[in-house]
Amino acid sequence: MAEERRSLTGLTETEAKEFHAIFVSSFIGFTVIAIIAHFLVWQWRPWL
Amino acid sequence: MWRVWLLFDPRKSLVALFTFLFVLALLIHFILLSTAKYNWIEGAAGAAPAASQNSSLPAG
Repeated sequence: MAEERRSLTGLTETEAKEFHAIFVSSFIGFTVIAIIAHFLVWQWRPWL
Repeated sequence: MWRVWLLFDPRKSLVALFTFLFVLALLIHFILLSTAKYNWIEGAAGAAPAASQNSSLPAG
């Protein structure tokens, strides 16, 4: 079996996909927290 | 989208991203602290009209 090709960054496709999954879920978590923070500030003092 | 990690090193990307987000957060927090309406430490301005801000003249 051919070994997985290495890329410019040295990651294999599997590693890149694995990292990407963590990255996306972290980004979603960050976004949800940011939305909650904005909602609370809007309740406190709306800016528009 | 996952192919970006074949082009950009995840470690460097994360350091750059966290640095950027930290500086941005610091900037936004200090900007808000510098306003009368959104300063949550020296608050009590209530829904102070914007007229009290952005004025080079003292109130009154």
